[in-house]
Amino acid sequence: MKKPSEAVLLLLLLFFTPHAKGTRFSPPGKPALTRCRSPEKETFTCWWEPGPDGGLTTTYALYYRKENSEAVYECPDYHTAGENSCFFNKNDTSIWVNYNITVVATNTLGSTFSDPVDIDVVYIVKPNPPEKLTVTVMEDKGWPFLRVSWEPPHKADTRSGWITLIYELRVKLEGEDDWEMHLAGQQKTFNIFSLRSGGTYHVQVRCKPDHGFWSEWSSTSYIKVPDYFHREKSAWILIMVFTAFIFLILTWLLHMNSHSLKHCILPPVPGPKIRGFDEKLLKNGKSEDIFSALVVSGFPPTMSSNCEDLLVEYLEVYVPDEHELMLEEGKDLHDHCLKSEGSTSDNDSGRGSCDSHTLLMDKCGEAKEQGRQTEQEERPVETQRHQKEWNEDTLPYAHEDTVSPDMSSGRVKTWPSVFCPLPQYSSSPPNHTSSLEIAKQHCLSDSLFPPGSTSSYLTHPGHSTKETLGPSRWEFSLSNKQPRSLHPQMQTRQQLQARSDINLSNVGCEQAPVGLLPPTARPTEYVEVQRVNEEDMVLLKPVASGRGCGDGCPRLRQAEDYSKVKGVNSDHTLLLQREVMGEEAERCPCQDQETNGETDSCITSSTVTTTQKPPACNYTAAAVQDKMAPTVSGYVDTASIFTLPTY
Amino acid sequence: MLVYMELSMRAGTAPICPYGQAGCHVPTLADLFDRVIQQSSRMHGISSDLHSQFEQYFLPSKNLIGKRKCHTYGILTPDDKENAQRLGREQLTEVILRLLGAWGDPLSQFYQSMSRDQNQDFNHYSSNKAMEISDMVHELRDGVAKMAEKMKLSGVLDNTVSYVSPESFVPFSTVSYYKRGELNPMDHHDLLHCFRRDSNKVKNYLRILKCTTLPGLDC
Repeated sequence: MKKPSEAVLLLLLLFFTPHAKGTRFSPPGKPALTRCRSPEKETFTCWWEPGPDGGLTTTYALYYRKENSEAVYECPDYHTAGENSCFFNKNDTSIWVNYNITVVATNTLGSTFSDPVDIDVVYIVKPNPPEKLTVTVMEDKGWPFLRVSWEPPHKADTRSGWITLIYELRVKLEGEDDWEMHLAGQQKTFNIFSLRSGGTYHVQVRCKPDHGFWSEWSSTSYIKVPDYFHREKSAWILIMVFTAFIFLILTWLLHMNSHSLKHCILPPVPGPKIRGFDEKLLKNGKSEDIFSALVVSGFPPTMSSNCEDLLVEYLEVYVPDEHELMLEEGKDLHDHCLKSEGSTSDNDSGRGSCDSHTLLMDKCGEAKEQGRQTEQEERPVETQRHQKEWNEDTLPYAHEDTVSPDMSSGRVKTWPSVFCPLPQYSSSPPNHTSSLEIAKQHCLSDSLFPPGSTSSYLTHPGHSTKETLGPSRWEFSLSNKQPRSLHPQMQTRQQLQARSDINLSNVGCEQAPVGLLPPTARPTEYVEVQRVNEEDMVLLKPVASGRGCGDGCPRLRQAEDYSKVKGVNSDHTLLLQREVMGEEAERCPCQDQETNGETDSCITSSTVTTTQKPPACNYTAAAVQDKMAPTVSGYVDTASIFTLPTY
Repeated sequence: MLVYMELSMRAGTAPICPYGQAGCHVPTLADLFDRVIQQSSRMHGISSDLHSQFEQYFLPSKNLIGKRKCHTYGILTPDDKENAQRLGREQLTEVILRLLGAWGDPLSQFYQSMSRDQNQDFNHYSSNKAMEISDMVHELRDGVAKMAEKMKLSGVLDNTVSYVSPESFVPFSTVSYYKRGELNPMDHHDLLHCFRRDSNKVKNYLRILKCTTLPGLDC
């Protein structure tokens, strides 16, 4: 009884064992048709995917049925297309016919059918890639382009029109990832423009039937575009560099001239400013300082630079011929004097080079070398004459001094320009001569008078000179017109407000044209500047007018006319010209007397004075004798004015 | 008439005279071929779109094709290249004309059926296309006929080609089937399937005809 149960168990085991092993073996899994493709619409191939084989050897078979036919055919070719494929050749392929294809997997245990697939060969065409792809670089008006050409796959019969393919190509630069697609249609060539110079391009092409699948991309064709931009790029580079260079230059110029341009475009607005007005003084609160600062020494503007425009009338001083040499000598001295005088600026400083009379005399002696023949001849005569006159006369000099602003304390201060024309005056030789004359005269006057007395010629009315010389006055005016005749170049500027009319009469003398030929026998007369009246008139008085004039003096005052200003020489000497008015004889006594008086006073001065030639009666005599003698152009030594001390 | 209008639209600035009247541009055979081929290609494209829409929305099953025949199955058409080339130009032209003629009425019915049916979502789009292909078939047939005439005139074609009534080649069952009037959606799908194939045939035959008649760059 146990044996049958055991047998059953054994049988069961045996039965199950193969089954247990058979779980490894099973009928094949279901295969699946993956795809069917026709490369030229004349043949096609189907591929399937086998399922699990079930552990056993599985065979696959493909069966197909055609449309409207019940006949089942098996795949004629399993091998041509490879593993798990079925290839239908031309005889087996019908177009516009529906194929129902099934794959069967069979093993020992069974077979499995795949799902059927309906295909129409027309719609499963996937051609081969185009062949013979060629790319060449061609040129179009200097610009290169790629010409791509290809041929359809050799299997596809496009020649008979059986199959119509459209193409597509793609291009990319070497190293990039993005392709540039171009649809070429049915044509088999294509041009690609806009190339990068020197780049290498990859080109591929593929095709598709009008209703079908795209082929695979053809093999890549490489092409290198040559460098063609050099020629044009270099030109552009040159142009750019040139433009940049010009731009830099323009910028630099603009920067350099920015200031002037700024002035041009945006002119600065002048702010109000008062000359001499210092805001700091305002802050200090001292009104005196403020107003004193406002007082500009240059106002009224009579700048020394404009002095040449000032016409300075020269008081004509008659100088006898023997005095000419002295005059000549004095000129040099005067030049020195004037120069030195110009430097000094104190008011009544009768100092300076001319202050030292001894120096003056020495210089006058040295000045002889300057050499004017006429003067040289007369120099010794003059010196003698000077000495003689000095000894004899009291030097009623009509000392004509130009107004010295420095001499006066206040009034004449405004007339510094009076001296200025003198330098100009000396610029021309005749002027120089006359200036020398004047200088000499001035020097003489310096020598004749004590420094103090001489200084008072100009500015101090009623000073010592007045005391010593007497009250004779000349109006000393500087006019613009008179000097013109004698010294055309002397032009008084309008700044010079002083007008001096020198009414001097040249006793026995005629007017010297330029004062170069002074009457030989004319004594030097000096007119003292008494004062400056309200009308800015320099009132002159003859130095020697007071002496022994008596009746003649008033007349002398009137007779002698120092109305003409010769000019102002370079040494700031006012050159006055005396006009001969006649009545010479009457003056002479006065002059003699004056000179005598002057001589006395002059002797007390330095030896220099001896050289000076007082306008003695010799002057008178000379005047009578020589009517033709031109008027000695007396000169007012501005330098002496500086040096003369004030009284 | 429609082919004339269509041809005139493509002629450019000068009107086209199908009969060679004075003052108008007479298209050449090559031009006619190109126009016809373009038309057939376009027609085929539209039919393919319609068919794919029907398949997408409507019929998942693909086995119905085998059970139903197209009404033009009676028209013997070459089913491969050798057969088509063996057929010759005249017969090929005749086949084309038959096919085109066979589809005139069914497409009109199809369009009418489409426009009548309001339930479907894509009706509007499909009905326009149906109308389009319906018109195209007629135009194409006229165009091919004119081209055949020109070919006969130029000596390319023999005079054996005759314009045959389409109904003679259609099986009675199919014709009656289509003339029933009411077409269900199933019929629509089959109709479109059949038409898609036939338009493809027409296109292909025309191309073969052109390349055998005028071998050039396109072939």
